[in-house]
Amino acid sequence: MKHIYIIGNSAAAISAVESIRLHDQESQITIISEEEYPAYGRCLISYLLAGDIPESKLNLRPADFYQQNKVDLLLGKKVVELSVKKRRVTLDDGEKKEFDVALIATGARPDMPEIKGIGKQGVSGFRTLNETKELISIATFAKAACVLGGGLIGLKAAYALKKRGLNVLVIVKSKHVLSQVLDDLGAKMVGRHLEAKGIEILIDQDVSEIIGNGQVRAIKLLSGKAIEASIVIVGKGVKPNIQFLKESGINTDFGILTNEYLETNVQGIFAAGDVCQSFDLVRGAAFINALWPNAVEQGRIAGLNIVGKNLKYIGSLSLNAVEFFGLPIVSMGLKKAEPGCETLEASNGKAQIYKKFILKDNHLKGFIGIGNIKNSGIFLRMIREGVDISSVKNDLLSDSFSYAKVMDLFGKDGLYSNYQEQK
Amino acid sequence: MKKNLYFDVKKCMACRTCELVCCVGHSLVKELSKAIKEKQIVLPKIKVSANSGKNFPITCRHCKDARCIDACIARALTFDNEKKEVIHDKEKCVGCWMCVMVCPYGAIRPDKQARIPVRCDHCIEIGEPQCAKSCPTKAIIFKEETGD
Ligand SMILES: Cc1cc2nc3c(=O)[nH]c(=O)nc-3n(C[C@H](O)[C@H](O)[C@H](O)COP(=O)(O)OP(=O)(O)OC[C@H]3O[C@@H](n4cnc5c(N)ncnc54)[C@H](O)[C@@H]3O)c2cc1C
Repeated sequence: MKHIYIIGNSAAAISAVESIRLHDQESQITIISEEEYPAYGRCLISYLLAGDIPESKLNLRPADFYQQNKVDLLLGKKVVELSVKKRRVTLDDGEKKEFDVALIATGARPDMPEIKGIGKQGVSGFRTLNETKELISIATFAKAACVLGGGLIGLKAAYALKKRGLNVLVIVKSKHVLSQVLDDLGAKMVGRHLEAKGIEILIDQDVSEIIGNGQVRAIKLLSGKAIEASIVIVGKGVKPNIQFLKESGINTDFGILTNEYLETNVQGIFAAGDVCQSFDLVRGAAFINALWPNAVEQGRIAGLNIVGKNLKYIGSLSLNAVEFFGLPIVSMGLKKAEPGCETLEASNGKAQIYKKFILKDNHLKGFIGIGNIKNSGIFLRMIREGVDISSVKNDLLSDSFSYAKVMDLFGKDGLYSNYQEQK
Repeated sequence: MKKNLYFDVKKCMACRTCELVCCVGHSLVKELSKAIKEKQIVLPKIKVSANSGKNFPITCRHCKDARCIDACIARALTFDNEKKEVIHDKEKCVGCWMCVMVCPYGAIRPDKQARIPVRCDHCIEIGEPQCAKSCPTKAIIFKEETGD
């Protein structure tokens, strides 16, 4: 009987368990997780912070999920070392566990910059339920918060704190918010929208010091100016959790490197999710697109390969959907045209509508939709499946665009097969 | 057996009766004259779209390996193994639009006002899809699946 160890207990891990159990009821499965909660919706912590949802809605699966799937759950334990030779993990309490097969699904953690005072109370990353609970307890008596970084996590935190009634200032190093997610025009549109809703945005600035006596009182900008805040949320990107692999011999770069079966260089050790540096379809290179659907899909494929299904992972791509104060935003693939690219776009600043397509050799490489995000799943498909779209190029921006216009591109797929001409 | 909606495109005249009865069927009062006065106007979960002289009603096909389920960050979308349908739990939905972003058919649209995705539920509340029941040309057929 095989003993499968899964390190991590989130999107990738849960999805792996479900696919393993579809085919294998025999093997023993153990999940080890540093966090002390059953799997929860990590992406929902901003809604919890905002007060939009109660903690009970964070649950990803019913309470008896682990029992039903015959999983031994070790919560609140951290893997500190993995030995490839001994096929063994060491936990932070010194315990050692032997495995036959392992899945590393340890995700990522906030990348905390080395700023003076970063360790003060009230300064936090925004990644876990515990951090969120701590933030909520401070927010109940706080008046002002600063968010470092204008990426999705930073803005989600800013939105949540604003909804709680705090004064929120977002400090962005680059010229725009969401510089990784949108192009300049789109980013400006979203920035203006957030400002209109009362979130202050300071661009081209950074923090030099966090001031306070144990508890944060203010931040100091590079310009020298100090701004009061009792909460500082750091949203400056994430780092994959691979520290425990340092001496293991498992190949890593930024994250864990895998082949197209999501197996590492060591046979029987797989990786999936935010920790896994697999293949990016649009870049054509190894890259981490740290996103929920990617983690779920990779977890499934790793799980199926653990039970010997030999499935190839076609790769991930950058992919975001989000809404801020009623403004929906979708972005995928390339955001800015590279040399040789063709751009099709339409915008209406007043109506807060923007659509942009980036094509290369008549293949879609990127899409941005603000205000109007209808049909974006079809655009995603065009990118993923790499179809030649020259025949429908002129329809892309049209209001009457729909699946009907493009279904011939995709062959006789699912919905197509539901269109039958009866005798 | 899984039942699904099929469309005889030769018969579809794009009269949009399906869109209308879909809205009424999902309204609170289920009566057209009153439904249009409801605070939250229901959007049609089926939309007819034309291409090359043919009309295609487009709606959720309750995929077995549904991308929307993978993408849902709130576990609001799940697959009901008995009914073989994709179920959406409004209570859990946070309106993040991940499902809209990944639906390969563009069959999930955002209802920006209600902040929930608009997608077909086979008229779960009434018991049978109103579009199929009301289609004047019988272009929409609700029947057992013929296999993918
Ligand atoms: C606020 C927020 C909003 C987000 N919103 C979206 C969104 O709208 N859409 C989207 O696609 N994505 C979103 N994401 C990203 C998404 O949450 C991640 O892509 C996803 O959680 C990755 O899942 P995972 O299984 O790879 O790992 P994670 O969710 O990171 O979980 C990894 C787990 O492993 C544990 N672990 C780490 N190291 C060890 C160790 N050594 N030993 C034991 N356990 C360990 C961690 O404690 C953690 O519990 C959001 C993220 C955040 C923080």
